Formats: sequence, structure tokens, C-alpha cells
Amino acid sequence: MHPRRLIQIITAADSALRDASLDAACRGATLEELLAAAAELDAFWRASDNLYQRVRALLFLYALHRFHLPRLLPPAPGRRIPYDGYCHLLRRRFEEAIDVFLRAEVRHGPSDALSSALASAYHQLGFQTLASQVRRSVRSLCGNQWMFRVGHPADQPLRLRRELLEPDAASGNFPILSEHTPVRMDLSHSAWSDIFFLGMDFPEGARVLNVSIDLAVRGRDRAPQPPVNAYLRVLDEPVLRLVSIDLKDHADVTSVAEVFDFARDYLGLLKAAVIASGIVPPGMEGSEQGLAELFARMLGPGRGLEIASHVNDIPKGSRLAVSTSLLACLIAACMRATGQTASLCGPLAEEERRLVAARALLGEWLAGSGGGWQDSGGLWPGMKLIQGERARAGDAEFGVSRGRLLPSHRIFGAEEAAPETRRRLQESLVLVHGGMAQDVGPILEMVTEKYLLRCEEEWRGRQEAGRVLDGILAALRRGDIREIGQLTTHNFGGPIQTIIPWANNHYTETLRARVQAEFGEQLWGFWMLGGMSGGGMGFIFAPEAKAAAQEALARIMASAKRELQHALPFAMEPVVYDFAINEQGTRARLLEGSAALMPPGYYALLAPRWVKMDARALTPARRAELAAFGAASKSEPAFGRMVEVLFDHLVPSAAAEQQDGQTLAGLLAEHGFDAAQHEAIRADLRSGRLGLAQNRLPASTHIADAGAAGVEDATSGLGEEYRRIGLEALAAGRVAIVTLAAGTGSRWTRGAGVVKALHPFCRLAGRHRSFLEVHLAKSRQSGRLCGVPLPHVVTTSYLTHDPIALHLAAGGLRAYPGTLRLSPGRAVGLRLVPMERDLRFAWEELPRQLLDEQKQKVLESQHAALIAWAKKAGEGADYTDNLAVQCLHPVGHWYEVPNLLKNGVLAGLLAERPQLSCLLLHNIDTVGADADPALLGLHLASGAALTFEVIPRRVEDLGGGLARVDGRVRLVEGLALPREEIEFDLSCYNTMTTWIDVDRLLAAFGLTRADLSDAARVAAAVRQLSARLPTYVTLKDVKKRWGQGQEDVFPICQYEKLWGDMTALSEVACRYVVVPRRRGQQLKDQAQLDGWLRDGSAAHLESLCDFADP
Amino acid sequence: MKITRAVITAAGKDQRALPLQTIIDRDGRPKSALSIIVEEAESAGIENIAVVVHPGDAEAYAAVAGAAAVRLRFLVQEAPRGYGHALFCARDFANGEPFLHLVSDHLFVNHEARRCAAQLVEAAESQSCAVSAVQATRESTLTLYGAIGGRPLPGSANLHQIETVEEKPTPTLAEQKLIVPGLRAGHYLCFFGIHVLTPLVMEILERQVRAAGATGTVQLSPALNELAGRERYLALAIAGRRYNIGVRYGLFLAQLALILDGQDREEVLEQMVELLAARAARR
Repeated sequence: MHPRRLIQIITAADSALRDASLDAACRGATLEELLAAAAELDAFWRASDNLYQRVRALLFLYALHRFHLPRLLPPAPGRRIPYDGYCHLLRRRFEEAIDVFLRAEVRHGPSDALSSALASAYHQLGFQTLASQVRRSVRSLCGNQWMFRVGHPADQPLRLRRELLEPDAASGNFPILSEHTPVRMDLSHSAWSDIFFLGMDFPEGARVLNVSIDLAVRGRDRAPQPPVNAYLRVLDEPVLRLVSIDLKDHADVTSVAEVFDFARDYLGLLKAAVIASGIVPPGMEGSEQGLAELFARMLGPGRGLEIASHVNDIPKGSRLAVSTSLLACLIAACMRATGQTASLCGPLAEEERRLVAARALLGEWLAGSGGGWQDSGGLWPGMKLIQGERARAGDAEFGVSRGRLLPSHRIFGAEEAAPETRRRLQESLVLVHGGMAQDVGPILEMVTEKYLLRCEEEWRGRQEAGRVLDGILAALRRGDIREIGQLTTHNFGGPIQTIIPWANNHYTETLRARVQAEFGEQLWGFWMLGGMSGGGMGFIFAPEAKAAAQEALARIMASAKRELQHALPFAMEPVVYDFAINEQGTRARLLEGSAALMPPGYYALLAPRWVKMDARALTPARRAELAAFGAASKSEPAFGRMVEVLFDHLVPSAAAEQQDGQTLAGLLAEHGFDAAQHEAIRADLRSGRLGLAQNRLPASTHIADAGAAGVEDATSGLGEEYRRIGLEALAAGRVAIVTLAAGTGSRWTRGAGVVKALHPFCRLAGRHRSFLEVHLAKSRQSGRLCGVPLPHVVTTSYLTHDPIALHLAAGGLRAYPGTLRLSPGRAVGLRLVPMERDLRFAWEELPRQLLDEQKQKVLESQHAALIAWAKKAGEGADYTDNLAVQCLHPVGHWYEVPNLLKNGVLAGLLAERPQLSCLLLHNIDTVGADADPALLGLHLASGAALTFEVIPRRVEDLGGGLARVDGRVRLVEGLALPREEIEFDLSCYNTMTTWIDVDRLLAAFGLTRADLSDAARVAAAVRQLSARLPTYVTLKDVKKRWGQGQEDVFPICQYEKLWGDMTALSEVACRYVVVPRRRGQQLKDQAQLDGWLRDGSAAHLESLCDFADP
Repeated sequence: MKITRAVITAAGKDQRALPLQTIIDRDGRPKSALSIIVEEAESAGIENIAVVVHPGDAEAYAAVAGAAAVRLRFLVQEAPRGYGHALFCARDFANGEPFLHLVSDHLFVNHEARRCAAQLVEAAESQSCAVSAVQATRESTLTLYGAIGGRPLPGSANLHQIETVEEKPTPTLAEQKLIVPGLRAGHYLCFFGIHVLTPLVMEILERQVRAAGATGTVQLSPALNELAGRERYLALAIAGRRYNIGVRYGLFLAQLALILDGQDREEVLEQMVELLAARAARR
């Protein structure tokens, strides 16, 4: 490959060459050629002033270092990543980080470790460059710029419209401006072509068929209506009152600073709207002013503003862009009220809709969120084609990117979609929310990356998706709904999953199969709404089957959710919607006189407070409103049940039962909670003897890289002799596998509490497979190869035992040919509210990734809110404000091995197979670990009690490693390192995979095989050894779910003892072996999956498995 | 084109008392605001001046107009039907000729030898078209003025071709429609309160008055916006500043500006320093 070949691709004017794939260009290239190409590309991006050429070069460099170079680089254990470069990465100084890593590459030669660091830096720099450009474009849009120049209330040029300032003469109520906005659905699934980056580089390919719809939740609401509503009125007190009726939160904001504090409460979206609409312009951030002065200028002295939002309880994750629609709705109301639109009521003009959409983009950026450019589609009426636009002279984007930030909207007339077709579409389509609410951020990043790299299959998929859209448009013109169903089904099965396999999941597959089985020919198609499936989805049926299908889907979704609730992160019960196409777009009305009332939910939230207040403390406007509310309660059907609701709020009923039917006390008793130990830990925590800072080894400890002595290198394979020894042992039935499955994948689902073992994480050999299924498939294959089935033990905890047992009992996995036992946990802890000291330590002392500017502001605001929460809840108090199972915690994987001793599982195995002498212990997420004969042979030949597998470190491997601590080689936890930089001196990372000699392990506990039948003796031995191991305090993210799919994440304190600390015991003979990454890689985060699939690890895993599929 | 007539509008509901205010002019002589505005018109060589007033106000205005009172003609706007309608009340007075128009709630300070009205009339006469005086104004006060969108007139440093006129625009609208090349960011060309208008304006206003019916209001800016679309209409960036005496502290600031530009400058500055010193001593 010519070194400049990749640059030619990037700079080509001819689209055939420009759209060439990086993978194809690199195929067959030698290591030297790739390194030369990387050097050329690095020089190119630094010199280029064209945004997209820069970004594409950066993504090419990322892909070279992530996928292409590691395949060719020779294994080189012992190579390190410079810590100062890593610090630059954390602080988002990516260019400096790249310079540091490249200097190290020049000095020490290329290595897998350095390539991992370079890949990370190039990737992040590429995305940062793109994000900065979108932000610049949002700021520089005409109509948005002025807001960044207004720095003081005296500069505020906006005034409230007169119509809103005059209270009604008779009632004294101020009029209410109410805005009602439909949500949007994407009838084509655009293959994510509405991502800003994509639209700005490839405007001709960015096309979406977007429909504005009204919604009703079936069985709850009477008829579809615009689901998103905003209300605005003047107050007779100088505050900004923000009310979220759905999230049941409200606040009286009195300072500008508070408006910019997004994460303080659940009112971030309303605050973003207030800012993006120019009421408190973004330029005022940091101007330590009160709002009274600002409002005096805008509304008159002594007056304030109230803004309320209501989305009619449409659940989060509906894939209908509810939050962007709400933001746009709120902004539209605020802009109307401040004269930034021509009309106060009715629909908006096209230019005004575009401006509101642009402000919604600004609001999303301010609040640190982000959607696609079609998400404000509900502002427009009916059906429309939204498409990217080429940047022209005069546009802010001209000369910077090929496309404009904002797309154009072409509203369909009768010719493109006849009224009859629209009616028939409504008669055929069943919209549902499957109950899963997932973060689609990583998916959108993957889509962008694959587009910029023009990955071959994915690029073909994108073009195919374009043809599908053309087909849907043609079918719409013909009125052929069945054809639309076929096309959306093809789109999901073909292009969408070609681009992002993770858009599909086991739950969606299950639903589709069951619906297909029940409805056969009457099912015309499946259609995925937005980001990924499992949440908002559509099924197209023959019209005569729709009613039955709605009933059936409610039933099928509920039962599938019940079956999979422990395996997949569900946020809520599934719902079926009724919907109607909204042909008006966003509209506003002015409610005046006695009709000037907020929706009933508003009064359910606020009226109880007013009723409790002294009548003299009520402002005249509020007295007038209470009178009007009282009158409405008697006469208006919508307010019919308000008296009961108010009474319920005034006198709260007894505490609700735990949703899962389990009480905390019951669980603690059931799982052997040690109250005395808990109190001791609490006392230590409060007194400061335990804490994050106390996890660390003394500063005087000498810690260095382990070096080559005492560490075996198996990255290039081991001798045949070891393999022979291992095979003999396997054939003799001396080996069993122990899979640690006590965990709930806190990082995998951000604390959602699913059983990670049962999580169907990836499609392998044609089906979604869970972690547990994969491990059993490897054991099945090993057993088959050596002729003796391997016993397989799965360790469980209070969280995972019953779901795994039920899953196995229900035949959720293919029959395992050997012994399969569960090893139930015998220890449980109760989580504690964290100490402020530890929260501060975690955020201020530990290295943390700095986010981009706006997200970082939101995060800092969250930190302040969480510290306030910890103080209010009581530092060190029991954490009980969640489902009972979310309040308990496993006490660390060290206990998993003693549990085998205590619960009789090991004794049972030995009774069944007395020759058993070796266990292979591994984490649930170390999917590549199998009973490799050569590694087993090495372990047996060494005579070690424990042989730990380690891998050469990459930049993402954090949490300690293999070290020489005061002269002794051992594993050291990241929590225990006195200084963060030490970790980067440790070239090998612990995989947790351990070969265990059963008798030597028992000896370490002071036991023999015979002692295993003596429970008291075993318990005493375990207690004795545990006392010699350190206890670590950690903060874990725990999710609390509430409302309609809403989730909060709290950092909760827990403690644990870790298996790697066995290496610190001098009497336990430990050995260490460096294994290839594909064997030792742990899958901790869903974002790792795509790279893991693309770098060949998934294919390697398939080769280790025998799934015993029929 | 020769300008011989001037129309001052003073019938606005909240403006009626403003021309009656006494103020010290640059020569240190107390005068009514109306006298100063009349002098502004006269400085442009115009003697034929009409003042549009609210019913019953003519006498009070005549009383404060000083020596010019006898030359002024008072025209009555019978009902408060808007700024455009007030100007339309002078249609017969304008007599189908171009005329100078001044508002009564602004005072002007010129930054060159010619007074502001004189600069404008000279420009209109040389360009033979309607010309409005404008001043680059920060977006924070856009809500007080009419503003124009347009482009610089080739070969001229201070004239602009007007393409759009918007009354009291929001900055959102201004950014989209009223950007004028060459101005600082966040600044727009806003009306100064003095215009030279052509007979077409009266024609447009007549149609709008008719369309508004017997009681509807008519504003001037929509008429000027239409004017920009129908004939050559320019804006002159005046070498001077306007002071809106209708806003909070407006009269005080206008007075201060006149004094600082006049013969009693030193005396007033001394007193202000004394005032500040006394205040500082009190603290």
C-alpha cells in the first residue's frame, strides 16, 4: 500500500474513491506499510483546515491502531503506556496525549499497548472535533447569536407580550398560554441518517420520512391527543416557577445561577427551554444576578413567570423523541410569549418552526443531551420528508462542511400520501413500548464511526436503506400499506442490523417470533422506531386483525418481559398505544378568564401546599386561581376526581409495599446478613478508619512492574509438552470449571440490576447468547474434545441465584452433558449512604474522565446535588430507599471460593469425582477463558496453588495489575495503589482467571478434603483467612427507577474483599501467565461489543463453543 | 427635490406632556423640548412647520413654543389611531410634496457643524428620494425603535439602501432580517426620529387608514416597509445622537447630553464632581 493511499481517499473529489473503505485499503498491507500510512495521516490531520478531512483522518488513525496494527504487531508483554499521556486523555487534551504516545512509539517502537492508547486519543479527538463543529454551527445560526451576547439583565431586549400581562378583570387570573405539540415517528427508520455529523457530511444521504402523531396509552386514555404540552403564565411574585407535572417536581427559581444548574432537580429540560428561548439567555451564565431584576425589565416590577410541562405520562425511551418534542414545545411557548413569533396562538410559520427547531438544538446542547435533527419533527404537521441540505454561500456552514446543520422539511400533500392512505396506515399500525429504555448514545457514535470509515458492509447497508426509503415513499403514493410493512421488515432485518447489529436484541426477537406465530399472514411487517429496539416499536397488521393484535401484543410483551426481566434491563411495564396522525403540528391557545387553568395534574402537585398555607400568605393571583380551581372541580369533568386526589396528597397513605414483594428484612435474614459486622463497618466508615482513601497501601510501599522473572509468557503459545499434560488431566476428569455469576453487571447496564450471566449480550452462531450459555458451550466443547464432560459450577448470589436456577429449570439452556451445579452465595451486605468525604475523594482525588464543557457542567451540578442528598439521607446510614434487592450488595468475589467450601458444592463434586484436583475459576465476562490444555499443563507442571492469567495492558484496562510489591510478585488492586500513576508502570492486567489446585487451596485455609464435611470447622477457617485480607470500600452506581421509565443513578457505598489479594498471602504459592488478549479480555461495558466483534474476538469465541444447537 | 415643510407628531397617548418639558439648551437658555425640536427643523431651512396634536393640546403647545409659535400650524388627531394615522393627519399640509418629519419625544445632538435635520435634508435633496436618519443601536434597546435592514450604498460612507423596515423587532428577528454589513455584532440601524418622506408614504398610509376602518390603528413602520419595496428609500447614519426623552431617565440624559455639548459644560461638571465627592464623604 502506498503511504499516501489513505490520504487520497480522504481528499478525493470523485465519490467512488472518497467512499472507498479503509478496511479494503488496508487489506494485505504489511506492518511497515500501515505504520508509514499512519505517520502520513498524522501529519495530514495536523495540517488540514477542512473539518471533515481532519475528522476522517482521525477516525482512520483510530481504526488503524484499534483494528489493523494490533493484528500485525508482535506480542510484546512488558510495554507500557506513558502516564502523562493518559492524564492528557482524562483532561481531554487529546493532541498532547497523541504527541506523548507518538514520542513513546519513536523511543520504544510500536506496541499493542501504545496503539490502544493512540486509538483512544484519535477516536476521542475525532468526536470532539465533530461535536465542537455542531456547537459552533448551532451558535452561529441567525436568530441564536444574540443570546450569547446578552450578559446582564439590563441588556435583555425581550419583553412579554401585552396579552399575557393583563389579569382578567373579573377573576384576577393571568391568562395562560398553552402549547400542544405532537411527537414524531420515523416511518422509514432512517438508518440513523439524521445524526448531525452524517447530515453535515453526506446531506444527500440524510433523509427521513417523519410523521407527527398524537398518542393515547391503550386502556388508560380516551383518545389520542398531542402528548406534549407546555403552559406559561405571568405570576404576581418575582420568581421563575418551573413545574414538571410528569416528574412531580417544581421549584421557585430566584437567581440566574440556579437556572443554569441543570442537574439540581428534574427540571433541567424546562431550564434549558428558558435559556434557549432567550428568557434567560445563555450569555447570562455566571452573571450572579437575581431574576427579579430581569423580570422587572421583561414583565414589570414584582412579576414573575411560571412554566409547566406535561407529556401525558408517555414513558421514557419511547423512541418518539418525546424529550426533544417537549423541549421544542416549551421553547415555542416561550418564544411566542416574548414576541419572537408573529402569532401568539395557532400554528407557527415555516421560518418560525425552523427557528424553534434550531433553539431546541441549542437547548439539547446546553442540557448536555442530544438527539437527531428529525426529532423536532412534531413542530411540523402531518407527514413530511426531512432531508439534508448542501451548504451554500451565505450559510454559516459553507466552506466548513458539505451540508447544513438544519435540514429542510417538505410536507406531503394528498398526492404523496392520500388521506385514504393515511387512514389505512392508522388502521394497520400498532405502536408499542416494549418496556426497555436504553441509552442510544454509543449506538449513534458507532454509526458515525462506521460511516466515516465507510466500512464495506455497513456502507452498502446505508445505500440499501436509502433504497428502502424510496420504496416506502412509492408504496405510500400507491397506498400500499402491506408493501410498507414488507419494506420496514426488510429494513430492520437487513440494512439496520448490518450497520448496527446491537439494534436488535433477544427480547425483540422473542416478540417478533411470537407475534408471527400467532398472526401468520395477518402480520404485514415489523418496524423499529429510532435508536434501538426493545422500547418504541411498530407492528403492521392486516386492518381486520388490528384490534386483536393490540390485545395480543399487550399479552405477549407482558409475558416475554416476565421471562426476560432478569436478563435484560427493563425500565417499565410494556404498553400499547393508540395513535393518530396530527395534521396540524404544534399549536397554541390562550386560556383566559375562568378557563385560565393548568391541567389537573398540576393542581394535584401544588394545590395541597396551598391548602396547607395560611390564607393570608397566598398572593391575590393564587387566591383567584384556587377559586377558579374549586369551581372547575365542581363543573369540569376533567377535574372531577380532584377532591379525592387532593385528600390523598394531604393525608398520605401508609408506605407502599415493596414492588417486588420482597422486604428488606426478609432478604437480609434469608441471605445470612451479619448485623454485627455491618455495624462495625459503619462505625469504621463514619470514624474514617474505612474509606476510599484508606483502601490504599501505605505510601512507603515499593511497587514496581513484575518484570519477566516468575511470569510465564503464553502470548505466542506454550510448548507441546504442557498441552499433553493438560489433555491427560482433562481426560482423567481432574478439572472442573467455576464461573463467577454473582454479579449484576453494574457497568453493563449502569446499575439496572440484571443478572449478567443471563444477559443475551451478542448474536453468536446465529442466535443471541447469554454469557452463561457461552461458558457452558465452551465446557461442552472441551468435554467433547477430551472425551470426559467437564463439571461446571456457577457461583450465584442473592441477586442471581433464583433467576439462574429458574432459567435452568425452565430449560432456558441446552442440556449440559456433565455435572452443572449452582453454588449459592453465603454472604451479603447492606449498602450504605456514602460519606461526603468519599464522594469528594472519588470526584476530586481519583483520576476521572473530564467530559466536554457542557456535559461537565451538568455532571458537576449532579455532584453537588448528590453530596446534598448524602447529607440529607445521613452519611453512613443504611441505604433503604430502593427496591429491597437494590439495597443489598455482594461482598466481593473473594467469598465465592470459600462459599464453595461452605455450601457443600466442592464436597459434592469431590464425592462425585474424587480425582478432581483442579478448578478453572473465571469471571462471567471473561468470555474467551476456556479449559485450554496447554495452560492447564503449565499450571500442573508448576506445582502452584494458584496460577493467575494476566494480559498485556491496554489503555482501557484499569484496576490494578501484576506488580512486584516490596520485592514480592503479586496482584494488586487499583483501589490499593497509593498513587494512580503506579498503575501505568504495571504492564500486565489481571483477568481474574485462575487455575486452582484444590488441595493446596484447602491447605491455605488450613483444611483437608476430609474437613469439608465439618461445617463449623470450614466456617472458622474461612473467617480466619478472611480476617487477613483487606476490606475495600467502594462506590457503586445504583439505579433507582420511578415514574414512567424514569431512572436515577446514585453512588452507593459498599464493601468487598477481592480474590486477587490471595496472592498477598506468603504461604500460597502463586504463578502468573500472560495470555493473549482474546482469551483474557473482559466485557464490562456494552460500548466494547462492537470493537470486540470487529477485531475477530467474537469469531474466535465461536470457534471455542459447542452450542449443541439442533 | 426641495424640502420646504416639516411635520412634528406629538399626539401619542404617552407623549403629550414631553414637548412641554423645560430643558436648558446648549446656549444655557431654558426652552421647551418643543422649541428645541422646532429649531432643529428650522436649522434645515424649513419654516413651514405643522405639529400633529391630541385634541385640546394646541394651546398649551403654542404657549411653550416661544417666538416660533406664530409660525406653527397645529393639526389635530381626533382619536388615538396610531403613529401612522397621526402622520396621515398632515396629508393636506404636505400638499403632495416631500416633507421633513420629526418625532416629539426625541432630542438630537449633532456631532458636526450641521444639525441633524440639516444633514438629513441635504442628503435627501441631493439623492432626490426618501431618506430616514438612523443610528447604530445595540440590540438591547431594539424594543424602543423601528429598525431597518439593507446594504451600504456604493460610493457612500454613511448612506444605506433600505430593504426592510421592522417596528421594535426582537433580536431574533433582527438577526434574521436586519443585519447590515459593516456594523458591529449586535448592532442594528434604528430610526433616529427624523425622516424625509415622499408623497408615496401618504398614499400608502391613506390605503392603510382606509383598510383599518373607522377605529383601527395604523402604524408608520409597515408603510415605510412598503415604501422600501416601491421606491428608492435610503437611510443616513447621522453624525449625531438621538435622546429618547420618553423613557426612564430619558429627559435627564438628554439634558446632560445637551449641557456637556454646550457652553455650561465646565460648570455642570464641577457640580457633578462636588456631588460625587459629597456622596463619597458620606460613606
